[in-house]
Amino acid sequence: MTAVARAGSSPRWVVPSPVRHLVAVALFAAVATATVAIVDNRPDVALAGDSAAALAGELAAGALLVAAALAAQAWRPRARFTGPLAAAGIGWLLFEWNSPGAGSAFTAGLVLYAVWPPLLAQAALRGPDERPLGRGAVALLIAAYATSVGVLGLAAAAVFDPLAQGCLDCPANQLLVASDAESWHELGQLGLLLSVVWTAAFAALACGRLARFSPAGRRVVAPVLVPSAAALALFGAAAFHARERGFLSNDPTDRALWVGEMAALALVAAGVVWERARARRARSALARLVVELGASPTPGGLEGQLADALGDPSLRLLHSLGGEPGWIDSEGHAAALPSDADRVATSVVAGGRELSVLVHRRGLLDDPGFAPEIASAARLAIEHERLHASRRAQLERLRLSRARLVATADAQRRQLERDLHDGAQQRLLTLSITVRLARRKLGGGDPALERELGAAEDELGVALAELRELAHGLFPVVLSNEGLGAALEVLAERTPRLVTGALPEGRFAAPVESAAYFVVAEALRRGPNGEVAIDARREGDRLLVEVRTETQLTGEATAIEDRVGALGGALAADGHHLRAELPCGS
Amino acid sequence: MRVLIADDEVLLREGLARLLEDAGFEVAGRCGDAGALLRMVEARRPEVAVVDIRMPPHEGDDGLVAAQEIRRRHPDIGVLVLSHHLESRYAMRLIEEAPERAGYLLKERVSDIAVLADALRRVGEGECVIDPTIVSQLVARGRQRGPLDELTERERQVLALVAEGHSNGAIAKRMFLSRKTIEAHVSQIFMKLDLRDSHDQNRRVLAVLAFLRAS
Repeated sequence: MTAVARAGSSPRWVVPSPVRHLVAVALFAAVATATVAIVDNRPDVALAGDSAAALAGELAAGALLVAAALAAQAWRPRARFTGPLAAAGIGWLLFEWNSPGAGSAFTAGLVLYAVWPPLLAQAALRGPDERPLGRGAVALLIAAYATSVGVLGLAAAAVFDPLAQGCLDCPANQLLVASDAESWHELGQLGLLLSVVWTAAFAALACGRLARFSPAGRRVVAPVLVPSAAALALFGAAAFHARERGFLSNDPTDRALWVGEMAALALVAAGVVWERARARRARSALARLVVELGASPTPGGLEGQLADALGDPSLRLLHSLGGEPGWIDSEGHAAALPSDADRVATSVVAGGRELSVLVHRRGLLDDPGFAPEIASAARLAIEHERLHASRRAQLERLRLSRARLVATADAQRRQLERDLHDGAQQRLLTLSITVRLARRKLGGGDPALERELGAAEDELGVALAELRELAHGLFPVVLSNEGLGAALEVLAERTPRLVTGALPEGRFAAPVESAAYFVVAEALRRGPNGEVAIDARREGDRLLVEVRTETQLTGEATAIEDRVGALGGALAADGHHLRAELPCGS
Repeated sequence: MRVLIADDEVLLREGLARLLEDAGFEVAGRCGDAGALLRMVEARRPEVAVVDIRMPPHEGDDGLVAAQEIRRRHPDIGVLVLSHHLESRYAMRLIEEAPERAGYLLKERVSDIAVLADALRRVGEGECVIDPTIVSQLVARGRQRGPLDELTERERQVLALVAEGHSNGAIAKRMFLSRKTIEAHVSQIFMKLDLRDSHDQNRRVLAVLAFLRAS
């Protein structure tokens, strides 16, 4: 038995991870070296200034993000948030690169100095749970990149002439198209204003996500999302601070906010590691589950145990029903696979057949080897529960089909009873009146014929009485009109040897009433002599019918077994005693 | 005597009307459902209405409900319900509220014009008539304890005949006893059932009611 991801399994070309690691580490080392040189060159315009501690912190924050991204990549080769995260770690250092001390990297710095916030936003919106980006998130990211790289980067660089701005020792701006100090100033103001807006929108989106998630979902998402939102909010605050000035600088407020951003980025890296630790705890819980399930598999409890072990309270375990389409839960009730984007279904497959399915939070089973582990841990328990559930589903179907049969039979009996009254009985009555009228017309003229007509009338009377009894036996009208208590009273009135004890008040569902009634009628039939004592009463949500007969009960009770079984009730019978327990609601 | 016939089966209704006319009754109207019955009783004021228990619109106990309504609205008009139900509870429902001028016969009696005519007359005179088959079924049963336990076997027989709507004279004839003896039994019954104060006709009806209730 194995576990196979049903959703999100589209194959995708993946660069072998050692190569990616090497590239990322080399790139970061190069950028870090250059950054140290740039800061060292012109500490007066650098955010890190001449503080070695600030520079170390700056490098550490970037390094931590890259390291966290690489680690996450190793844990989950399919993870997609790691790329933007590593890029954000590198981009963070480029913040220093629009400095006169940047040398040949100056132009790159002009374009990319503000690229880290959109990269971080992208990584955070994906998250370690690998959520697909919604339409709102995509729009936000496009706006963020357009602002940082487009407006603050490329557009501003195109009109930024360092010499005209009084930066005499600035390296040449390779992207300069036309020197326009006023446009540069206005583009800077616009870019910063847009930065304020999109970081605020990001904060709102993050809050919305956190509010929407279940507590378990929040535990997964929050460690990365919350510090990311904090870092971006601090960046937004810096942009707000610089909005009049038109460019980001290194005054005391700028630097204070920058230190905050640095701390928040370190927390993002910590969050990634924390999420990983949580997943590991889930795996050790899974290991415990193996032991528990091995000890005693409990039908129906498996879903809860898996949910606890995996830390996803919304987890559901559904089973297939012997090759038929559709799914059932552990109770055998039909259940549907969820269709929302946050949840996916992982199939449990054996012998090429999809037997059961785990419905869980997206990303829950993304750890390599996690799904096979669950499959081997819970294999027997899942199989056991599946068999149990399909047996229950089949029993329920059987019960429903029995109930339909009984209901149809009752409807037919009722119809037949009505037809006898409205048809045959009325005809016979009309006939007997006609005979009587004919006799009167005869007026005693032909005594022999008169006698024969009289005999015919007597026969008609007997036929009518028999018809009445037959109709009543088919289905007593009083049962549907006035209920079980009245019907049993009437039965006792017609049958002197029937002794009634307690009789239930009030009405029950029609199948319950007819089942109880026919239990008594059947007992009268099967114990044809001597007294029959009945006792029928409601006890909680059950109707109890007890019958005691003076003589031994004979024959089989298939008909009432069907009636009682169709209601999910119980029937017990021995020589002189019949007891039916019928669920009747409360 | 003016009677009104309510039955949705046309052939049966017409036959019944002819039988009753032959027997000297005046058939004041015929109808086939409960609504028409109530309107016709209002308009034509018969002495007794003969009502089939099963009638449109519900084909259940519409006739019985209409009969109760007639008793409520017109205490001076009698009703005789014809029913295919042997159960005493339907009869009880008819007479419990107002036992006078009410009768409950099995429908198969309709061809026995003597029984039908007798029942109609008794109901018209203010008595209460219950079908003998139902009464004998109740007598055969008689398990529950109640005021009837005080009656002797003979008195119970007499009371059953009273319930069937027979006069003292008719009961005397049936039991091969003198009218005086029957009268003595009947007054004993009234005593034991604690029906001393009312006037005689009423007491007979109340005795029947007590009999039905106790059974």
